[in-house]
Amino acid sequence: MKNLRLIHVAALVLALTASGPATAADGAALPWWIWPIALFAVSFIIGIVAVLAGVGGGVLFVPIVGSFFPFHLDFVRGVGLLFALSGTLAAGPVLLRTGMASLRLVMPLALAGSIASLAGAVVGLSVATDLLQIALGATVITIAIMIWAMKAADFGVVESDALGDLLRLRGEFEDPAAGMRIDWRTRRTAAGLAAFAGIGFFGGVFGLGAGFANVPALNLLMGAPMKVAVGSSGLIISIINSSAAWVYIHRGALLPLLAVPSILGVMLGSRIGARLLSLTPANVVRRLVIAVMLLAGARALLRGLGIWT
Amino acid sequence: MDVKPHDGPIQRLYARWLDAATKTGFAASLCAFLLYVSGALPPYVAPERLPELWGLPVGRFLEETGAPTGWRWVALMDHGDYLSLAAVALFGLITPVCYLRIVAPLLRHGERLQAALAIAQIAVLAAAVSGLFAGG
Repeated sequence: MKNLRLIHVAALVLALTASGPATAADGAALPWWIWPIALFAVSFIIGIVAVLAGVGGGVLFVPIVGSFFPFHLDFVRGVGLLFALSGTLAAGPVLLRTGMASLRLVMPLALAGSIASLAGAVVGLSVATDLLQIALGATVITIAIMIWAMKAADFGVVESDALGDLLRLRGEFEDPAAGMRIDWRTRRTAAGLAAFAGIGFFGGVFGLGAGFANVPALNLLMGAPMKVAVGSSGLIISIINSSAAWVYIHRGALLPLLAVPSILGVMLGSRIGARLLSLTPANVVRRLVIAVMLLAGARALLRGLGIWT
Repeated sequence: MDVKPHDGPIQRLYARWLDAATKTGFAASLCAFLLYVSGALPPYVAPERLPELWGLPVGRFLEETGAPTGWRWVALMDHGDYLSLAAVALFGLITPVCYLRIVAPLLRHGERLQAALAIAQIAVLAAAVSGLFAGG
């Protein structure tokens, strides 16, 4: 019950954020210190919700803060990358120790993704803001629909391909829920590498972690068990975003007054989210995430089209 | 199933370094930010001025403030905002440091392909850190 109440409070705060869109004029009228506090609060809640929903925090952070806070999208995307980076770095050690993330699986995929994400970040900082808002809005709405429609698949132990064999993309982990040790291997390695290059580019453009795309690529395309897909996705985000974040740092698109409260908020929120994970009804959180993403995506789309500025 | 016995220890080594580095980054960010917002260290751009500036595209922001790009911000670390930026930038260095730590164990166990992947990833991250891809 306590967890449900917390989820409802989180929903209320996110809805209040969404109902009170800030303009640049609001931003200048309010005292400066209001905004870091608001960012900390929103990031803290996103940190809880993101872990519970199994999405990267960036996919909620960028559309919400980009649409409802007075900051330019250039700065929001820079913070978005650091946001997803710090959240996944914090979760990484536990995922690796429990075997939910596989370093062997992550290394080739993250390399393809991080090369592409550098190109994506450079493109993202060169494109007109209106166009980016439209693309971001359309993308976030599409992702919300994908999350709504997506189902996990369990393929059992799949047959490795030659490249997967060469890279020895296989492992085992103890599944406490199933009470057994599960062996796994992956397939379609070349397609997986191409998919992660595409996802990395996309994440670099929009400042997202793109965990929503990593998980289906690992699970549906490459045949990794769902738990390994979710765990490895987090570690992949932490590596890919490390390269794209530097593009924003060097371009001067990272404001510490926005970045630090967001990072501290998501790192604390993620820890609480991880503790609530086993106790929270997944459907409640899933619906909340989809609703917030649809709202924030629509706002970004309408803002880009000049309909709701 | 052919899982190499050294996979686990190398993964745990990476996890240990990741854990320590992330906690260090968190503590450094918190300390630097408190120095910044408390005014203990003077800022390069005063927080009071930021609400007029943070709605601008990054190019206009840089013109208005004269803020540096590339690595030139390192010379401004005696200012609260740039000390905070340095602390935040630590998060971007954690992955290459952890990768660097596992290269030798990978080579010791004959994992030449994995070691090559790790070195390639370090090279990509080093190029990003250097500002090679930051362009204009």
